Amino acid sequence: MQQYQNMITRQRKWMFFLLALLVLGAGFTPYPRIFLGLILGAVISFFNLWLLQSKVNKLGHAVAKQKSAHSIGTFTRLAAAVLAVLIALRFEDYFHLVSVIIGLMTAYLVIMIDFIYFRFRD
Amino acid sequence: MAAIAAAIAVGLGALGAGIGNGLIVGRTVEGIARQPELRGTLQTTMFIGVALVEALPIIAVVVAFIVM
Repeated sequence: MQQYQNMITRQRKWMFFLLALLVLGAGFTPYPRIFLGLILGAVISFFNLWLLQSKVNKLGHAVAKQKSAHSIGTFTRLAAAVLAVLIALRFEDYFHLVSVIIGLMTAYLVIMIDFIYFRFRD
Repeated sequence: MAAIAAAIAVGLGALGAGIGNGLIVGRTVEGIARQPELRGTLQTTMFIGVALVEALPIIAVVVAFIVM
């Protein structure tokens, strides 16, 4: 159980670190539109990551206690991604669409790099 | 035409994700039910598997909305 909690903490730390970098980029570089898009995508991606972590934990808890679990929230995550794209399409002057999509994939990058790094280190 | 393209993209993406998620969650539930002490390890594997499986349908949904 400790392994899972450690992984969640590491991933959350990396996501906050990346978000802080993106905020700095939006504030201090001449490309605020691109960085605002990346921030929007990364925030929604962070929500997706948190939702997946909590749903997987709830499912594991329910199975270990021999109870029933409802879902793992796939539809919510898809709807959150659609919401990000709709916001980017509606406010096109503020958010760059391609960077929103790249931002949506931030959590997957974090998960993959974290997994590869810690698998080879252990 | 755009609506059909969007529907095909979302539909096929969701089909693949459904099959993949079903396999992953099914095996994990089996494993945890047999050995509850391995819950942490199995949950970690399931988390990474579900996350990687779901990356593609999310891209599919996004592409479908842009096409529409």
